[in-house]
Amino acid sequence: MAYAGSAAIRTALLLLTWWALTEGDPAATGFGLGAAPLVALLSLRFFPPSPLRPQPVATLVFSGYFFLRSVAAGVDVARRLLSPRLPISPGYVSYTTSLPAGSPRWLLANTLSLLPGTLSVTLHGRDIELHCLDTTMPVSEDVARTELRIARMFPQ
Amino acid sequence: MPDSPLALIQAFMLVVGCLFFLVGTLGLFRLPDTLTRIHALTKADNLGLGFIVLGLLPSVAGPATAAKILLIWLVALAASATAAHLVGRAVRATDGSGEREDRA
Repeated sequence: MAYAGSAAIRTALLLLTWWALTEGDPAATGFGLGAAPLVALLSLRFFPPSPLRPQPVATLVFSGYFFLRSVAAGVDVARRLLSPRLPISPGYVSYTTSLPAGSPRWLLANTLSLLPGTLSVTLHGRDIELHCLDTTMPVSEDVARTELRIARMFPQ
Repeated sequence: MPDSPLALIQAFMLVVGCLFFLVGTLGLFRLPDTLTRIHALTKADNLGLGFIVLGLLPSVAGPATAAKILLIWLVALAASATAAHLVGRAVRATDGSGEREDRA
């Protein structure tokens, strides 16, 4: 049942992507309708359905948070680069996440790379090694906040 | 020439987007090592592309084209985060001390 549900969701997402890629060209619809289910089935062979499903509301909240924070990230880095003093104090910071393995952890690592001042360098099990542009900033608290929002997306 | 308020806002967004790309590139010159440069590139370019996408959205032909532009942005985000991580990991693997390296 979970398998059929995942196949349906993936087919729908692939169709949406196809629609966007072909800019809604009606001539391409037939091919998309044929290819999307096949690609969805193929993707299920490579990436079996995960028991962790993102919750829609929490995902939207997370998207908004991510959007605002990535704007802050760009402004922050621009401010540092344009300042004549170049105020950075780079270094490594380790963080141990409590998120389950798989997409939540992967999402955290990728998100952190786009948030202010952090760049995920290595991911070994629960340990994420971050490179920080400014180690005097409260990096761990920032990461914990992001982690909490991702945890809400994937309730156990 | 564009003179409606919307067109002005769009032009403003496009210029701001390009400025962020410019700042990201400035980072390549000002910052001391590979990892700090990646910080500048991923974050500033991500925001620059975001501004350009927002600036273009009002003048696209239809919803499918709008979705395509947003898709480009999403894929570029995922690619830049992944590429940043991979370059970071490669730097870390060849850099035992964990401090400055590659002063070019």
